[in-house]
Amino acid sequence: MSALDPVPLLLNINGATRRLFAEPRRLLSDVLREDCGLTGLHVGCEHGVCGACTILLDGAPARACLMYAVQAQGHEITTIEAFDAGGELSVVQQALHEEHGLQCGFCTPGIVVTMEAWLAEHPDPTETEIRDALSGNLCRCTGYHNIVAAIVKAAARRREGRAT
Amino acid sequence: MTDRRTIGAPRLRREDYRLVTGQGRYLDDISIAGCLHAHFVRSPHAHARIRSIDIAAAQQAEGVAAIVGGRELAEWTTPLRMAPLIEGLRPVGFDTLPIDKVRFVGDPVLCIVATDRYLAEDAADLVAIDYEVLAAVADLDQAFAPGAALVDDELPDNLISQQSATVGDPGRYFAEGAMIVEASFRQQRQTHAPIETRGCCAIWDQGRRHLTMHIGNQVPHPYRTQLARRLKLSESQVTVISPDIGGGFGQKIALYREELTVAALARELKRPVRWREDRAENLIAASHAREDVVRTRVSVDGEGRILALELDIREDFGAYCFYPANYLARVVAMILSGPYRLSNYAYDIKVVLTNKCGNGPMRAPMAITSWVMDGTIEAIARKLSLDPIAVRRTNMLRATDLPYQMPTGLTLEDVTPSETLDRALEAFGIAEFRARQQADRARGIFRGVGLCCVVESTTYGSAFYKAAGIPGSGHESGWVKIEPSGAVNASVGLMASGQGYETTFAQVVADPLGVDPDDVQIHIGNTDTAPYGMGSRGARGGTAGGSVLLIASEALRDKVLTIATTLLGLNTSGELRLNNRRIERRLAGAWTDAGLSLADIAHVAYLDPLRLPVGMEPGLEAHRAYDPPPMTFSNATHICEVVVDVATGKVNLERYIVVEDCGTVLNPLIVRGQQQGAIAMGISGALLEEVVYDEHAQNRSGSFADYLLATAVEIPPIEVISQHTPNQKTPTGSKGMSEGGVMGATGALPSAVNDALAPFGVVAEAQPLSPMYIRSLLRSV
Repeated sequence: MSALDPVPLLLNINGATRRLFAEPRRLLSDVLREDCGLTGLHVGCEHGVCGACTILLDGAPARACLMYAVQAQGHEITTIEAFDAGGELSVVQQALHEEHGLQCGFCTPGIVVTMEAWLAEHPDPTETEIRDALSGNLCRCTGYHNIVAAIVKAAARRREGRAT
Repeated sequence: MTDRRTIGAPRLRREDYRLVTGQGRYLDDISIAGCLHAHFVRSPHAHARIRSIDIAAAQQAEGVAAIVGGRELAEWTTPLRMAPLIEGLRPVGFDTLPIDKVRFVGDPVLCIVATDRYLAEDAADLVAIDYEVLAAVADLDQAFAPGAALVDDELPDNLISQQSATVGDPGRYFAEGAMIVEASFRQQRQTHAPIETRGCCAIWDQGRRHLTMHIGNQVPHPYRTQLARRLKLSESQVTVISPDIGGGFGQKIALYREELTVAALARELKRPVRWREDRAENLIAASHAREDVVRTRVSVDGEGRILALELDIREDFGAYCFYPANYLARVVAMILSGPYRLSNYAYDIKVVLTNKCGNGPMRAPMAITSWVMDGTIEAIARKLSLDPIAVRRTNMLRATDLPYQMPTGLTLEDVTPSETLDRALEAFGIAEFRARQQADRARGIFRGVGLCCVVESTTYGSAFYKAAGIPGSGHESGWVKIEPSGAVNASVGLMASGQGYETTFAQVVADPLGVDPDDVQIHIGNTDTAPYGMGSRGARGGTAGGSVLLIASEALRDKVLTIATTLLGLNTSGELRLNNRRIERRLAGAWTDAGLSLADIAHVAYLDPLRLPVGMEPGLEAHRAYDPPPMTFSNATHICEVVVDVATGKVNLERYIVVEDCGTVLNPLIVRGQQQGAIAMGISGALLEEVVYDEHAQNRSGSFADYLLATAVEIPPIEVISQHTPNQKTPTGSKGMSEGGVMGATGALPSAVNDALAPFGVVAEAQPLSPMYIRSLLRSV
């Protein structure tokens, strides 16, 4: 046995319990993608800057590339795969589609996860506040204009209690 | 031309569902059983001889399957030879991995293949490479210095390419007594920084002797040609599959050495091998772009009219040529005059090698062009105390000047620079702004308006490449098939990395066939399925790809209507059309159903061919190629407003408007998104981005905390005002777009900063317009 040997892990992912073995040094982002097949979160920098790997940890946005899978035990992990329950797009997903708020789409899951959680706590944001909240997610394609428009739309729909 | 039904509709993207739900299939999402993982050991030195390599300990490390370097790769692959016959361009070549010498920080020396990425990186720590460090060439001045170190030992000096030309008689206008204005521009080194880094997965099928290369690449077929050649395989032994691509911006065109190494290893080991680049590698060692110093010298009359212009470009190309080194700067020189009249012109371009990552095209390789031209006009205005807008108008082409032959021989037509300028100034409210600017200056708030008039070269035809001395073809290929059930499939040689081709090209194909775009499936990114095309680069997708699919779809429509004519017992198809998957016939001026569906025709074409017109071949497919005009241009005027905080040097961009004329658009929603994205990349480059090398050519930009990309906070709302003057020579009337935004923002930002700083008498001549740079300018007065 060495410190590198795989250890048993018990992870709560999207409401289900998963048991697996992983080396303690394996990043949560790698374990979710490679061991659990949840490839919706993307690894863009492994430095915690780009936001493409954002998940929810106990409901709050977190960078899956900045923690080890072993550290996520005992916490509720929510990934992008949980956001289109029953085939229905979430409010933010639908708004991003309608406002052309994505191009290559690589950063998009991180933005969906971040903004769904943020809107739950900031139901009536200004555009400036949206831009500030979005600044932790890098997008190289869109110039953010349409993402901001989508979040404005999503916020309004959430306030009205509808998805579309 | 018939009325358009689906071309031009603002349809939402079909790609989105899989992407917003995390079900995209980017390279690293594709699971391949039994795959080995590659990791590259890279040079920590800018320039060094490799004395010895000790891999004994690393080979014993857990999980390691192979460790290979330049010598092994030299047996398995052929070197890159970049030697097109271009006057003034020196031929070069280099090995798949360096054998004797490394040329930049990040140069790959060894490839370690192990059962997982962590173990491959562990083994890298056990490798010992003994380097003899050499003097490095860290910048343009050092590259030109007498006795400078040689980046490429095969060359006599570091000058890799030099071209010059003279048109008219510029010398006459620089004689004694002439009014001469000079300006200079320094564009910093940048990198593409797609949020998805590079990577690939190579699978060698020993039984079939066939290689499948999964890779996000913009140009799958030209890539396949290179890959097969350098692996000494036939093109029929290689399939390139491009899944969803997480951004390319020009970085995912060339066959890189790491990818070739991974493919060779998959064949040698008879095991699938994959590689995922990390962000530091991407920033340091993938591909860089730009880094030029440009000087202009103009002779003008009293109204600021340009009588002659001399252009001098010095470009730092880095250590390796994955592209001909003349290519990027040459385009700048060819299109420099843009929307302005110019008859007497001379240019001189010198491109050098340095000990930095090799350069390549990045979205708008000619990004600096409009900044240089409009910046020169602003320098004229400053020197003559004229209004810079007036000087633009004095020199600008008018509708009556078109078509206009630029001094480099390119023909400008169907462009509207004066109209977009007028509309931009009106939308911006220039008079109101000037009043506000004056009032704010009194309060210590320094506002500026920035203007940039862009003519974007979008779609390069084969004739342009030939004339410019750039190897390559400008054609694109496509096919459209109606299957026996009436389902429609289509394909094109382009590959998307966010442009929404699956949506827009379905609109193009659907239009002549009278079907719903949702009923058309676009298949791209697989070299076994797609026709051989030149791929996605420049802004050619809409004009080259859209045109070829329109032509193919129209050919197929004609075949369908010819079959219908026979089945209906008519003499001519002239009074028939396809609409809503039905054949309609015009009777007494009204379209009525002819009792045949598209599926009926397809059934006959495939399964009952004896009913076809005599001599017609069964099936419903059309395969076409299209070579666009030598050059297609769109144009735009960019206008923006900044506030410069003179205490901190920070530039705050408050407003951005672009008036763009890109002709007929296939989908206005997607076109606007491309324009906004291009402008954002230009803003990010003008304000923030810079690959920094120190005086020893050590790279200081290894993370997104060092190489800054603009966030939603730095980019303001971007208002796009569209004009749609069709191009008369392209089948859809489109002109192309998506790089001009970078050109416009690259010029508009310094224009605005210089307007804001006018009271201080300083001029920004370099980018990025960082707080440090702005403060250094202000301290100099």
